[in-house]
Amino acid sequence: MKVQLQVIVLAAAALAVSPGAALAQGFKPTRPVELVVHTGPGGGSDVLARAIALMVEKEKLLPVRMQVVNKSGGQAAVAAAYLAEKKGDQNTIGLFTGVWLTTPLISAEAKVTLRDLTPVARLVLEPAVIAVKADSPHKTLAEFIEAAKKNPGQLKQSGGSSTSRDNVVRQLLQKSTGARWSFISFPGGGERIAALLGGHVNIMVIEPEEAGEHIRAGNMRVLAQVSETRLPKYPNVPTLKEAGFDVPVVPQVRGVVAPPGIPRENVEFWQDFFARLTRTAAWRKYIEENQFEDGYQNAADVTKFYDEFTDRMREILKDAGVKTVR
Amino acid sequence: MEILSGLMQGFAVALEPVNLFWCFAGVLLGTVVGILPGLGPPATIAMLLPLTFQMNPASAMIMLAGIYYGAKYGGSTTSILMNVPGESASVVTCLDGYQMARKGRAGPALGIAAIASFIAGTVGVLGLMLVAPPLAKFALSFSSPEYFALMSLGLAMVVLLAGRSMAKALLAALVGLWIATMGTDLFSSTSRFAFGRMELLSGIDFVVVAIGVFALGEVLSNMEEREEAKPLPVPKGLRILLPTLQDMKDCRFAFANGSIVGFLVGVLPGAGSTIASFLSYGIEKAVSRRRDQFGNGVVEGVAAPEGANNSETGGALVPLLTLGIPGSGTTAILLAALVLWGFKPGPLFIPEHPALFWGLVASMYIGNVMLLVLNLPLVPLFAQVLRLPVYVLYPLILGVSIVGVYTVSGSMFDLALLIVFGLLGYLMRKLDYPSAPLILGLVLGAGMERALRQSLMMSEGSLSILVSRPISAVLLSLAVLILLIPLFSTVNAWRLQAVAQDDA
Amino acid sequence: MEEKSYKTADLWSGLALAGLGVYIVVEAWQWEYLGPEGPGPGFFPLWYGIAMVGVSGALVVSSALRKLDAGCVGIEWRKAGRAFAVWVALVVTVASFKLLGFVASFALLTFFIVAVMYRRPVRIAATVAGAGAVAFYLLFPLALGVSLPVGVLGF
Repeated sequence: MKVQLQVIVLAAAALAVSPGAALAQGFKPTRPVELVVHTGPGGGSDVLARAIALMVEKEKLLPVRMQVVNKSGGQAAVAAAYLAEKKGDQNTIGLFTGVWLTTPLISAEAKVTLRDLTPVARLVLEPAVIAVKADSPHKTLAEFIEAAKKNPGQLKQSGGSSTSRDNVVRQLLQKSTGARWSFISFPGGGERIAALLGGHVNIMVIEPEEAGEHIRAGNMRVLAQVSETRLPKYPNVPTLKEAGFDVPVVPQVRGVVAPPGIPRENVEFWQDFFARLTRTAAWRKYIEENQFEDGYQNAADVTKFYDEFTDRMREILKDAGVKTVR
Repeated sequence: MEILSGLMQGFAVALEPVNLFWCFAGVLLGTVVGILPGLGPPATIAMLLPLTFQMNPASAMIMLAGIYYGAKYGGSTTSILMNVPGESASVVTCLDGYQMARKGRAGPALGIAAIASFIAGTVGVLGLMLVAPPLAKFALSFSSPEYFALMSLGLAMVVLLAGRSMAKALLAALVGLWIATMGTDLFSSTSRFAFGRMELLSGIDFVVVAIGVFALGEVLSNMEEREEAKPLPVPKGLRILLPTLQDMKDCRFAFANGSIVGFLVGVLPGAGSTIASFLSYGIEKAVSRRRDQFGNGVVEGVAAPEGANNSETGGALVPLLTLGIPGSGTTAILLAALVLWGFKPGPLFIPEHPALFWGLVASMYIGNVMLLVLNLPLVPLFAQVLRLPVYVLYPLILGVSIVGVYTVSGSMFDLALLIVFGLLGYLMRKLDYPSAPLILGLVLGAGMERALRQSLMMSEGSLSILVSRPISAVLLSLAVLILLIPLFSTVNAWRLQAVAQDDA
Repeated sequence: MEEKSYKTADLWSGLALAGLGVYIVVEAWQWEYLGPEGPGPGFFPLWYGIAMVGVSGALVVSSALRKLDAGCVGIEWRKAGRAFAVWVALVVTVASFKLLGFVASFALLTFFIVAVMYRRPVRIAATVAGAGAVAFYLLFPLALGVSLPVGVLGF
């Protein structure tokens, strides 16, 4: 009788402890983790993904390997669709950027939006600077805007596609100041810079890293920076707000997203993992070297961020004359 | 002389045993990557980047550069043997190279490709060494109007690739233009001709079309003959497997043409090695005495484009190393590599890091020699592939094509496209539509439209910008002249006919 | 190559391309021709679409007017049939990647080509098919780490 009771007590105790133990353990990856990017090897997201994979290996942040999977094509639509297909898969995550958010807005064929996937975290914001050729007559952004107002449509900016951040900055500035200047798209960063340095366009929005050497060589000058606070390497350049232009800073973002239909512990695991990653010294060094801004947000905030971002983009695109389909 | 002292310094670095090793490793890997269709230098370099962190930057740079120009040597192999373009720049080599192989001259084709690559590659490095800074400045003055004119010149070359029916060549080129415009428009973000498929939003990859139309089209076309089970003629004997002295003499102009055109086009950011090889081929055909035989296995038709795509690597390094502007996919990754190692390529790169620059230049000379020594003896070996019975060779080509396309994007959709283009290639062969203009239209189409729209935006709508600038005016006039050639020859033929009738 | 007359072929392909040209022009018409800042997305397609209609029209007309002479060769249906059969085999092969993976599907394709197309004995067909498939498997996924489509069997 006594032994039976003991056994029952022990069994009950075991039962009481085990779910608790399971909760405390949570999810742990057992297969190599797939980190999906929308560019081919060498593209922006691919380079970041490989850097992350390297950090994970060095600091032993995961019990398994992290593998970069390239799903390029369709301007992130293919990668997004791939993640959507992997519904419920707990070992796959993807690295998203602004294009994942804008492509579904303008292309009916891109059916998967970030709202269809599971947000995990936002990692970095990429600031930019506004640059002119060194011998340009405009010494400040205000002077450029004035000149643009006097000669609407005659000054030119080189940049990426009409939905890129370069054009977004231009649209916002045009709207708030009433000035008008034209935007010429070039598919590659090299061509944009060549257009500026060759004197074929007057101004461009450029990543601070890319501008660095040209400024040092005396070929380029920076008028303002597109960021909330001054970047450490550009202490003497005013931000847009400081220069008197009260436009929202629409950032270029990179973050993490996961397939739909995954259990809560899985999301929490990833969230936790990326929070830990962004606190490592290797990550901080990477951010500093690439002049990124730490834009860490957890999953809940990211969802709010996408809604704000897409609403704002819709407005901007409408002003830019680009047809939105969603 | 600064250059001489720099070069000595460079050789001191390049001849260090560890750097010689990495140079060899790079060029060997590059050759292999070039031979395999689909897998290209950008992907390979990107994948090796993390490994290079452990190495010293000079060695790493030497190795990665070796992969870059080494791949251009390997790319001609499958083009010549199987009509499968190994790199996008090797498409043009398929035109005459494969025909030479069918006639039993695969060895000389491969050999001349290696030799042309060596000569042009070396000229490219010479150019990089001697004229880099002033040329880079000149390249900056090249903008959209000049690009448009250059591409128009390229497209006008359709006339030279026409063959029997001008109408069919034009139609093929127009279809190429159509395929090139598929996808999301860069300027307005409208999706054009995407047929509701998201995969088409970024357009159709050139590699898929080229391998489909050329390789698959060729295999399907050959399937018609069942009795043709004899292997393709491959003569025995080592000497026959290499180019003859006559071949070398025939290629004198091609060597020069390929080297110079390739280098100059390479310097222009955005113009790639495919354009360089087409232009070089077109020029060669225009000036050759036996221009009617081009497309049927003329050795200069292999030497010119192969040379061009090699000297283009030297050219592409000019804007990268003197201005910090990457001109192509591979140079963009090399830029990323340099940045990751802590160097910032820009106008101050060479003055501040002379050892790295000159070491790289010196290693490229050495690398080109290594590649020549590596590739020439392999020619007889590769030529043996053609001795396989056709029922082994054709499935092999099909397999290589499928794998090649799959490694580029991992997409089943691209495989489906490959098969569609294979059917198209077969139909074009049956109906006597030339395929080179299709590829030309595809390669130039997107760039041409962009350059035109950019130009008109710069000039605020006025077309005069295209003729008011000297360089673009010259190039456009050349293009118009080329387009008028068939008109001249028809008029001449009538005139001769009239004269003959008068005499009779 | 002998001078074959392509009269019917030219007529039909010309008509097909003219149709494509019309489709292109219709689509291009819906897009913006000239925007505020320069030519729009409809500009270039409209022009090459019109060119396509024009040139293919010329081809159709010239082939219709051409006399059906002795050099005219009809389509050799048997030969075309063989090529088409291989094409269909290719379609089936790629379609079966999801189920069978590259290695098995490619082996089947090779077997088909060697045994059916080239009428070689079954054991040669099987050897070539097997050797080829294994070679691809060894070279790409194993040696180079480049993944090939895998089916339900895991390879």
